[in-house]
Amino acid sequence: MNLFRIALTAGVLAGASTLAQAKPIAFSHGTTVMAEYGAGTMTEAQVFYAPKYFLSLGGGYLELESDLDHRRREITYARANYLLKRWNMEDAQANVFVWGGAGQAYVSELNEHEFAANAGAQIDYETRRVYASLKTDLQRADAFSHRTDTLQLGIAPYKHDFDSLATWFVLQGRQYTGGIHDGTEWALLLRLFKRGAWIEAGVTDEGKLQAMAMVNF
Amino acid sequence: MLTGIANAGTIEMKVYGLVCSFCAQGIEKTLRKNPATADVVVSLEHKLVAVATREGQDIPDAELTQALTDSGYDVKGITRTQRSLEQIRAELKQEKK
Repeated sequence: MNLFRIALTAGVLAGASTLAQAKPIAFSHGTTVMAEYGAGTMTEAQVFYAPKYFLSLGGGYLELESDLDHRRREITYARANYLLKRWNMEDAQANVFVWGGAGQAYVSELNEHEFAANAGAQIDYETRRVYASLKTDLQRADAFSHRTDTLQLGIAPYKHDFDSLATWFVLQGRQYTGGIHDGTEWALLLRLFKRGAWIEAGVTDEGKLQAMAMVNF
Repeated sequence: MLTGIANAGTIEMKVYGLVCSFCAQGIEKTLRKNPATADVVVSLEHKLVAVATREGQDIPDAELTQALTDSGYDVKGITRTQRSLEQIRAELKQEKK
């Protein structure tokens, strides 16, 4: 079952529930710095500045390493993120983000650098107790095409407020195309955030570390 | 709802979409930049953004709405009240107990 089908099923089961998800745009005139370690198959760092609440500009570094044959891509990119649609409800918020960019990729099996393009999208829905998000990110060059699909479903044991610590338990499912990983990689995560600082960590079903840290200022 | 009253003291706004402090901090940051702002309180529980203005100053409703809209949120109501931000903070703290 692919992640889109799982997401659809989860949404129906939750009765159009929610998702408290890292967003590519935090707030107008805000800067977001993010780093993620994805179980040894992906490592990513990003910096974005948002001149508007619906637009952020910046760049990042993404390393993908196949756990099947150890092919590696080291991608440096510039990217624009755009908030396509936001729904502000009384007790919830939902968003649709899209992004695109370009950069350079090192392709290990060719020992060459190539032009690379990227594009992606994210939909999320969030209350103070439940969240869900689905993100797809495509990285493409002459030598490769990799899509990473990530589903996150989260539940908070209590409602946090503006100045209190938020705690979330998150189930993450991730699939890679293009020979990076075979099947769905599942992870259980503990997410903590307070005001502009965010950290999450957990383990995958193969016992590998999955972690992310993010700061907004 | 009252509009554009000078020397209002405290302005309370009902805001939709306030579900995450990580995202809502942009509201506080934006409002504190306004020279008429003395202090800001945000409550996710009450969908409340409260602004205390400096002595003899006010922030027009249109400016407040624009600030919240530019932060990505929807303002559903603006009222001027006699509650101080200290009172609001105390009431919010009392509710948590």
